Amino acid sequence: MSLADEVKFAQELVQVFHRARKNLRMYPVNNPIYARTIEETYRKAEEFLEDYGDLDFHIKQNEILLHGKPVYQSADKEDNFAFFFFKDGLRELLFARGLQQDEMREFLQAISYDFERQGEDEDVVTLLWQRDFEHIKYIIDENFLLEDDAYEEEATARLKEERTEESDLRLAHEDAMKEESAQKGLEIAPLSQNDLAWLVKEIEKDSGDKVPRLVEILFDLYTEQGIPGGDAIKIINEALRYTVENENLASANHILQAARALAEDQGVPENLRRELKQVFVFASSPEIVKIIGDLLDSGGHVQEEVFESYVQRLEKEAISSFITVLGELKTIEARKVFINALAYLGGKDINALARGLSDPRWYIVRNIIYIFRRIGDRRAVEFLVRAAHHGDVRVRMEALRTLGELGGQGVVQTLKDALDDPEATIRTTAARSLGMLKSEPAKKLILARISDKEFPALEFSEKKEYFEVLANWRDQETIDFLMRALKATSFFKKSRTEELKACAAFSLGLLGHKEALSHLHKMRDSKNKLLSEYAYTAIKRIEYAG
Amino acid sequence: MPDKQETERAARDLLNQLAVIIRTAQIHNPTNVAVVSSIEKFVHRVNALLAEEGPIELELVGEYFYVNGDRVKFSMEYLLNFDFLQREFRRRQLGSLKFASGVSPEDIQKFVGAFISCPYAPDPFEDLAGALETVKSLDPGKLRKIVEEAQDIRKSVKRTYYNAVSFTKGVMNKIRTGERISMKRAKRVVETMVDTLLDREEFLLGMTAIKNYDEYTFHHSVNVSILSIALGQRLGLTKRALMELGIVALFHDLGKTEIPPEILNKPSQFSEDEWAVIKKHPLWGVKIIFNMKSFDASSVRAAIVAYEHHIHHDHTGYPKVKKLSELDLYSRIVSIADQYDGITSSRVYARNPLSPDRALALMMKRSVTQLDPLLLKFFINLVGIYPVGSLVMLDTKELGIVSGANPSDHMRPKVTVITDGEGKKIEPFTADLMEKGGDGEHLRSVARSLDPNKYKINFADYLL
Repeated sequence: MSLADEVKFAQELVQVFHRARKNLRMYPVNNPIYARTIEETYRKAEEFLEDYGDLDFHIKQNEILLHGKPVYQSADKEDNFAFFFFKDGLRELLFARGLQQDEMREFLQAISYDFERQGEDEDVVTLLWQRDFEHIKYIIDENFLLEDDAYEEEATARLKEERTEESDLRLAHEDAMKEESAQKGLEIAPLSQNDLAWLVKEIEKDSGDKVPRLVEILFDLYTEQGIPGGDAIKIINEALRYTVENENLASANHILQAARALAEDQGVPENLRRELKQVFVFASSPEIVKIIGDLLDSGGHVQEEVFESYVQRLEKEAISSFITVLGELKTIEARKVFINALAYLGGKDINALARGLSDPRWYIVRNIIYIFRRIGDRRAVEFLVRAAHHGDVRVRMEALRTLGELGGQGVVQTLKDALDDPEATIRTTAARSLGMLKSEPAKKLILARISDKEFPALEFSEKKEYFEVLANWRDQETIDFLMRALKATSFFKKSRTEELKACAAFSLGLLGHKEALSHLHKMRDSKNKLLSEYAYTAIKRIEYAG
Repeated sequence: MPDKQETERAARDLLNQLAVIIRTAQIHNPTNVAVVSSIEKFVHRVNALLAEEGPIELELVGEYFYVNGDRVKFSMEYLLNFDFLQREFRRRQLGSLKFASGVSPEDIQKFVGAFISCPYAPDPFEDLAGALETVKSLDPGKLRKIVEEAQDIRKSVKRTYYNAVSFTKGVMNKIRTGERISMKRAKRVVETMVDTLLDREEFLLGMTAIKNYDEYTFHHSVNVSILSIALGQRLGLTKRALMELGIVALFHDLGKTEIPPEILNKPSQFSEDEWAVIKKHPLWGVKIIFNMKSFDASSVRAAIVAYEHHIHHDHTGYPKVKKLSELDLYSRIVSIADQYDGITSSRVYARNPLSPDRALALMMKRSVTQLDPLLLKFFINLVGIYPVGSLVMLDTKELGIVSGANPSDHMRPKVTVITDGEGKKIEPFTADLMEKGGDGEHLRSVARSLDPNKYKINFADYLL
């Protein structure tokens, strides 16, 4: 194989590296293309190493050379593979035989690191250095590191200005010859197994979370006013952001707990205690809540009880942040967590939560109504009554259901209005909610609706819903009404009458009304299949209940 | 093909097993059951490796063992056995041992027997080599003097050192003028220091002995960083951890940039009020670190160290702490390095530095109250009885400056000899006090140490 072949192969390989860098930046780690890219790049490099031995690239500003021959050239300022290495001082890059796939993966991950997004404090040389490769070596230009070219020379010259004189050495020598000038040597105790055991423990301990200690320091700084309060608060807030970003809500709790303790400490000056409010405001801000949301969406690990504890420390200002971010969440899991948080926070300020009902996104409004239902506070009724007229059916349904659960002033009227809604689902929801109220006015409404001359014309399923709702009342009036309906006869529109009888049978079954059994047995033999089935079910239900 | 970790582990195990055999054989007879059993294990291991890798060579170069040319990394677990083996190899002038295929327990037994008996011979190595002449599977080699272009190494080490000082100076100036600090560069500077320390520890430690009064603050920061990394390395920290430690140590005194220059550079004693200002620098350090660097694991650590480095082990010192939390490991390391470099340097407000050995003696007195006693023990084992920069008289009446420690024997450092026996200035040369003459006696030993600060001896003449 000739030099030309080797150079040609190296050219291809550089392109493979270049493409791999793009792929690793583009695809997430769990994407099959990510893993395939690493594997293919490794295979290609391995093939080169097998055929030609170690691969030693020389890096110049706009080109990469092998044996002095260019294998990559680009004058592009944005996408220049040579310059990518060159700018950080890397001048030679060697892949040795024996290269492992893990090394290739780590190498590709290092070069595909997004320095702008992931961290400005890194450069490619540092990333390679940290990995300590066995089969990938590099040479860097130390001049790259020089802060001041002349410093070393000048400093050395300054230090050597005063030369050691012969007379000084003589004096030292004379003194040293006198026994009394001698200094007693130090005794060194050798290291023991116990020392090493202690060391192992220390190093193990050292791997723990450092943030709690930093928090202590920051609050010491704050109370000692060693640095201006505003600066200290800024740092504390940054610490908070850092902990949340790093899925360390336990430490974020630690920060909030310390801030709360200090805010309640009468020994701390009033102005400092007041300023501490900013920490809670920041913890409750859309910025922090968004980080938590992103974290949950990306499947980050957030312990439920730790998150609950975090939420419990927040101010009511967090409600609007959580509502804003709730609408941006992508996963059901994340939305569930946020709804739980709002169910807790909303209890602190119903009005703040109610502002979410004006959100233009129907699903947010529906979520807020659901949260009101979870909270179970009747003060929410006034907001829900308005929401019951929302333009979206799904919102109206949720509002009616919640009103039914909450009850209270104005609810019956709202539900009554909803019984006239053009949407059947809304009407049945309103009926069900009336059933939940179990009040006399609610019953009257249901009875009136069933007795309405338009009622028989409704779909059977809707009619059945009303009769089911009616079973919520076990009083004589209801029983009598149902028995009348069961016994009703008609020569005209017979099928509709029989539908109503079936519904009444269904309701009496739910009520377990034994006196209805004789009638039900008769209906069991009806030619009307629907009536016969419903009568049979009601009989079974009553007998079973009895 | 075995991976890197596996190879390293195999090399470490090999050395460790050899040390165990020799230790056991020194207590018992080489034919004792315990010795025989460990020999058998060793032989099994060696033969397996020989079958896999071909011939194996153990070599002692400087302070490290190499197996087939690769340096065996410092391992905390085996520290005592490595030190022991290194010391025992040196006592016999044994520099290498090659294993060829077919090593038998009898061969190793022969080696161990000869190894134990030879130190008392006039030429221990010749004695050992003679005893192994008939053993085909083992080939001992004499300890080589490290033949290196010492000047070139010094040059590169010097460059690393001054680059770090110049960088630190730049950082401090930029903080004063509110400019942005490049953390990238900080990392690169410290990476180079870590690499240099891993390869040429004594040279870089030597640089810390050259004190610069005019630019004390910058030199001090770099010295503390170097001494901390060196101690961290002794403690077995990973390369990445060493870089983190190096950076936090380099930045431990950044708070001093907020001290008004008229106080910081005051040539006389500080007033109480001035002390109060000085004592604020750990607090200011925290603020500066978070101003110059985004919040991340390393800035958290740097802030903790900046805050804690003057808090003593018993929680006295400053700033006063409300809650008695255990000091961070890095803070305790930096605190030792900081004290050592501080009291051996001439500073504006403390003109009379202590000699390195006196400084260590003072620090030992302060251990438990001010410093972590166990970390200090590791530190003293690192720098030795005669730390780099100690002025010593040798038993040959020559004067010299200690230029490197010898971990296997703290009494026998490397010394740059600067006068002859009459006290006459000479062209300096380096003497390794481990070196023995033909009679088996050491050529030179330290007779006594002197306080270098009493004389106008410019260490830069000899160590730069």
